[in-house]
Amino acid sequence: MKRTETMLIGFAVACVFAATAHAQEVPGVSKAAEDKTVNLCSTCHGPHGISTSPEFPILAAQQKEYLVNQLHAFRERSRSEKDAHDFMWGIAGGLDDAMISQIAIFYSAQPPAPGRAGGDPAQIASGKKLFDQGSPDRGIPACASCHGDHAAGMGLFPRLAGQHAKYVAKQLNYIQSLVRAAPVMHGIVKDLAPAEIEALAAYVQSL
Amino acid sequence: MSVDRAAMVAKVATMVMLFMGIGNADAVPAYARQTGQECVACHVSFPELTPYGRYFKLTGYTIGKAAFSDGKFHHVPLAVMAEASITHTQNNHAVDPDTGERVSVNQRNNGLVFCCASLFLAGKATDWLGAFIQWSYDNLATTADGTLGGHSSSDNMDIRAVGQYSPPGAAEPEWIYGATLHNNPTVQDVWNSTPAFSFPFTASPLASTPAAATLIDGGLEEQVAGLGGYVFWKKSLYAEVSFYRTADGAFSILRQGQDFHTDGGVAALKGYNPYWRLAYSHDWGPNSVMVGTYGLVADRYPSNFDTSTPTDRFRDVAVDAQYQYITDPHTFTAQATYIDEKQSYNASYPVTLATGAGIGAGPTPANATDTLRTFKAKATYYRDRKYGASLGYFSTVGSADAGLYGTDADGNARKPDSNGYIVELDYLPIQYVRLMLQYTGYGKFDGASKNYDGTGRNAHDNNTLFFDVWVAF
Repeated sequence: MKRTETMLIGFAVACVFAATAHAQEVPGVSKAAEDKTVNLCSTCHGPHGISTSPEFPILAAQQKEYLVNQLHAFRERSRSEKDAHDFMWGIAGGLDDAMISQIAIFYSAQPPAPGRAGGDPAQIASGKKLFDQGSPDRGIPACASCHGDHAAGMGLFPRLAGQHAKYVAKQLNYIQSLVRAAPVMHGIVKDLAPAEIEALAAYVQSL
Repeated sequence: MSVDRAAMVAKVATMVMLFMGIGNADAVPAYARQTGQECVACHVSFPELTPYGRYFKLTGYTIGKAAFSDGKFHHVPLAVMAEASITHTQNNHAVDPDTGERVSVNQRNNGLVFCCASLFLAGKATDWLGAFIQWSYDNLATTADGTLGGHSSSDNMDIRAVGQYSPPGAAEPEWIYGATLHNNPTVQDVWNSTPAFSFPFTASPLASTPAAATLIDGGLEEQVAGLGGYVFWKKSLYAEVSFYRTADGAFSILRQGQDFHTDGGVAALKGYNPYWRLAYSHDWGPNSVMVGTYGLVADRYPSNFDTSTPTDRFRDVAVDAQYQYITDPHTFTAQATYIDEKQSYNASYPVTLATGAGIGAGPTPANATDTLRTFKAKATYYRDRKYGASLGYFSTVGSADAGLYGTDADGNARKPDSNGYIVELDYLPIQYVRLMLQYTGYGKFDGASKNYDGTGRNAHDNNTLFFDVWVAF
């Protein structure tokens, strides 16, 4: 029995190592930051920042400045919709400025998620029209004017291309109802109808 | 520590923690304080785990900050759970088969009872070490003379040392590995289809329940020490081997408060008894599915007072599956397991055959070998993680054995068969309070639908309506 006991303890000791992980190298990103994305962020946001669950946003190829801005907002608890509160306050609360910056660089350098054109082509077409042209008679500018013709985003304006439609629609609803504080965006989307939000979301997911 | 003193400590600790919780708006259980995340990150509804909750457990409860780290005190690594309930037994009047006296099945039928409270020491110790340690006070513990009396004891415990490895280029943890010391087979498992954390997640502490259950389905809980190692590869393939031994000597803290001073009060195992677990998991979109197998081969002394005798062997082989669909606002989850147990009474049968009595308080089988097979399944829907409904089915069938289960009026050996269903409604007004209405209906109970005990009591007489308030801080 002593031998069994020794083997078990030996096995247990053999299992005890500090966490080690080696992600792919991204210039300007420390190993600690890459490990954080591999061992923690990927649990919800997926490998390379491409989540499969529509409840969690895709981060791959997201704008670095936007990611930094949002992680700060989670950490400072100024972005406070339910999912931010339930999941991200805790995660971002443990990140310092340098780690936030490096995580943002890491995800901004990942290849984007491919577009997924599910659903009704007519809905996607109407979403494209609204995205490209806005609704001038209602004073709604084209989404493309800030987010880019292909919704790739720019700086603080997030990439929307390939994002889960459910996530995009949810955020537009949060912004519209002032649950998520985004004053400029609120002014733009406040008059969008639910069907228009769904169409926009379906369109950007398809890109 | 005496039982009374331990109970008093548990009561005082409970009250202190309750006041701490009430006075602090951020007062949620220890892991939530550690991670800064809410219960819904890890639980569909407690204790059922989400994929992230499984990851949290497999990585040894080490996500977040340790209670004491960087020279600072961050949070209290303690949590408290308590339950109060009302149980209605359909027919509370029974006849004692031995004395013929009329007795109450449920001593507090239709009365409000404070059932139990638990104190948890739970959380991260270092980046590679974490624990889930539960100590419970049972206000309705039954003493040897059959009366109710408060009692505290060790409950579920799981201490883990963990690590992760990913080769260059990996985008997710390729290897999560760890060692676990725990005190209940399957308490270390992360899927809610295995017995320790399976449905029903809580049930009436007062209602009668079927007598027969497989050894792995609660037969060793809080009585054994489990030492094991596991790997989880590419978030898809899980493999574990653990060994169970009697929780005595250096491991006795794992069964403190259990009734090891009584013959038959706890299980005593010979040596280290193997347990295995293999599971394949796959997540896609908001879906997560798992199929797996687990099992245990245990050599048990018939009497925990006499380890000089031969042993009876229990071989449990099980398959299980789980499906989860988790979105906002809808979640749907389902679990099922089938456990096949072969009981080889290598010690008890020859002695019973020769003497008419077992070894000490051990079993008195009329057969050299018996079988017991259990099937359990449940499905749950939640909206907004707040309003839930579950439907469960359970069935146990086994060999007829007059020595274990007695004989019917015609002198035929009885079977241990029981089956029934559970309907449960849940409402969580806030994430750490659950109001539950649970109805359990029996088709068979301890071998028969009608007159299962020879005094005219029927299976459906044990149907139970259970209202429970379950609070965790």
